[in-house]
Amino acid sequence: MKLAVVVQRYGLDVNGGAELHARYIAERLARHADVEVLTTCATDYVTWRNELPVGIVTVNGVQVRRFKVKHERDPKVFGRCQTRVFEETHSIDDELAWLDAEGPTSPALVDYLTKHAGDYDFCLFFSYRYYHAYHGALGVASRAILVPTAERDETIGLAIFPPVFRAVRAIMYNSPEEQLMIQTVAANEHGAGVVVGVGSDVPQNSVPARFRSKFNIRGPFAVYVGRIDANKGCQELFDFFQGYAKNPYGKLSLVLIGNSLLDVPLHPRIHYLGFLDDTDKFDALAASDLLIMPSYYESLSMVALEAWALGKPVLANGRCDVLKGQCIRSNAGLFYESFDEFNETLSAIEKHRWLSSSLGRNGRQFFRENYDWSVIERKYLDMFERLRKETGSPRAISAPGWLDRRRTDVPPAREILARLPKGPALGSVVPARRPA
Amino acid sequence: MAEFNVRSDAVNVEQIMEQIRSRIREKRGVDYTEEQIRELATVKLQKFLDPRGVRSDLLEQFRKTQPPYQPPELPNYAFEENTLFDSHRAPLRAIRRLLKPILKLFFNPNPLIQALNIQSRVNTMLAEREARLEASKRSTESLYYELIHNLVVETTRLGIEVKNQTMRIESMSSRLEFNERRARALESAVVYKPSPGDLVVTAASAPAAPAAPQRESRPPQQNVPGGVQEGAPGEGPGQRSRRRRRRRGRRSGPPAAVVMGSGSAPGSAVSGTTSHSSADVSEAPGDHQPQSAVSQQPSSEAAPQSSSGSEPESQ
Repeated sequence: MKLAVVVQRYGLDVNGGAELHARYIAERLARHADVEVLTTCATDYVTWRNELPVGIVTVNGVQVRRFKVKHERDPKVFGRCQTRVFEETHSIDDELAWLDAEGPTSPALVDYLTKHAGDYDFCLFFSYRYYHAYHGALGVASRAILVPTAERDETIGLAIFPPVFRAVRAIMYNSPEEQLMIQTVAANEHGAGVVVGVGSDVPQNSVPARFRSKFNIRGPFAVYVGRIDANKGCQELFDFFQGYAKNPYGKLSLVLIGNSLLDVPLHPRIHYLGFLDDTDKFDALAASDLLIMPSYYESLSMVALEAWALGKPVLANGRCDVLKGQCIRSNAGLFYESFDEFNETLSAIEKHRWLSSSLGRNGRQFFRENYDWSVIERKYLDMFERLRKETGSPRAISAPGWLDRRRTDVPPAREILARLPKGPALGSVVPARRPA
Repeated sequence: MAEFNVRSDAVNVEQIMEQIRSRIREKRGVDYTEEQIRELATVKLQKFLDPRGVRSDLLEQFRKTQPPYQPPELPNYAFEENTLFDSHRAPLRAIRRLLKPILKLFFNPNPLIQALNIQSRVNTMLAEREARLEASKRSTESLYYELIHNLVVETTRLGIEVKNQTMRIESMSSRLEFNERRARALESAVVYKPSPGDLVVTAASAPAAPAAPQRESRPPQQNVPGGVQEGAPGEGPGQRSRRRRRRRGRRSGPPAAVVMGSGSAPGSAVSGTTSHSSADVSEAPGDHQPQSAVSQQPSSEAAPQSSSGSEPESQ
């Protein structure tokens, strides 16, 4: 079996969520099939500048074929296109212009894929929102499997994507919330789809003391791992934590790990450590009392899964449906939607050791049952097997005509987003809840 | 405040969150400490009632967040007579000018030029008008904001005032209740304290006994005439009848102050009761005698009785 993994960026230094997801999946599936990664020469997700050479390289035993990006992202043009399609009634052409402006626009990649589609049994497209996924999935729809990594943002309200969700052979969802959202938008309930997510290589030999001595961290602490950005809810986290720190009974410190795009407040109990390698990151998680995930938008929080794998409870932003759903399903984390809730939940985890340890135990169990690599690999292989047995009749995709593409009658994406169901999906699509 | 009380390994996150939320609700709604309430009550004086505080810097902040209005530079195509035939290339311009009469053979461009010229001027006028309207709208918005701000401040002030008044009412009603309870307790908490008068009466009714009042030489009950014999064992002489009289006094008698009060009252009360029953009659001397006896007591014993006025009666 030969598989193509198509993703916007790829490499050991690329740490974006979807890109890391793609790399993990590619490396794992390489044990069962011949995997080739098709990607661009870009490494920066803002500019999409060509930084790596065109051609074939091998990364961790997986063959990677890189293609040039046609043009870098122009922030002004992209901003204008985005305002148009998110805020105003617009046309399909406007959305295609937005897709082109967003980047990484790589027609060479799409051309190659279309020409060599027959070489692959299946093509896995990561991140529905990018040029390669839209044009690639439509180009080789009969072999396309989409890993959408969709978040609850305006992009999901664009009119160009529902045909893609309906056209592909299967969709590998990250969470039941994502599945519900895409099914609401695209009405693709009858297509093949399964909630998979991604596993993580969590070392079993993390040394908390090593982290504490290396970074001189004393006492109990909560840890945040990820990009320190207002979009990730970090500003709110800082405000809330400083409010919590005023409570004389609260002893927790906050340790921040990741690249910062935000000014970290100077506070004796907030420690910013910058970007750390995996060893230090896992040591930090093992040393921590809990992980805080303040993000509003997540398709699947890998770091939350890693914390659970290490038996640590998670305190998540309850306004993120996916995180809230994960906490409820796993019974391994609490969530907050206001400062009062943040304060109370954090204090509860801090004060009640039985609660903290029970949540951690549940998390470990949840990870083992749903996100262990054997489970993830099995779900992918089962899906390939199922699709191979099914008659892969190419689906009729009627591309909009010249006039249809120019008709300005597509509602703003924000309106569509507002109509989508909110809250965690706790229905039948959810894996069974297993309290410890 | 309800304590966090899930004590099991079978953790249910939803249940815990519900408990945490109810805890927060409690904290917000009811569980104010006295100090917090006082603080709330003083907040109005410090922050809201001060007329200078009403116009806080919120308006200024609002203005800061809204940059001063700059009318947008709208594109406007200045359309003149030669615009249609203009070009930055001089030869082309000359050729066009030469061919202009030929063009006029096909159609008359003058009305078009005129219409576009008017349109251009209208555009300018409209843009200016729009800018003026926008500027006035912004100033009106500021006024609205100030008005709403003042309304919010007033509403907050009133809310705190209501809370303050509610607290005062609660405080007063609790004080009232306490006073009522105190009054009832004082009325009912009767502890018999034998007065020297009782002993004197006993001595008077038993002629054989020595005249000096001594507790040890209190006579047996059978020596006490009338209802005293029916009293509970251990009751002092005259105690039962006194209790009965007190009950009667509560039901229909004169006010407690009169019954239990000053020197003249007992005399009148006794005179009123002498003809009722033998028990009362037998008691009467005992009531009379103490008055005279008390007056004969040493001042060290008389002082506490006089200080409480009607202590023997009220007990």
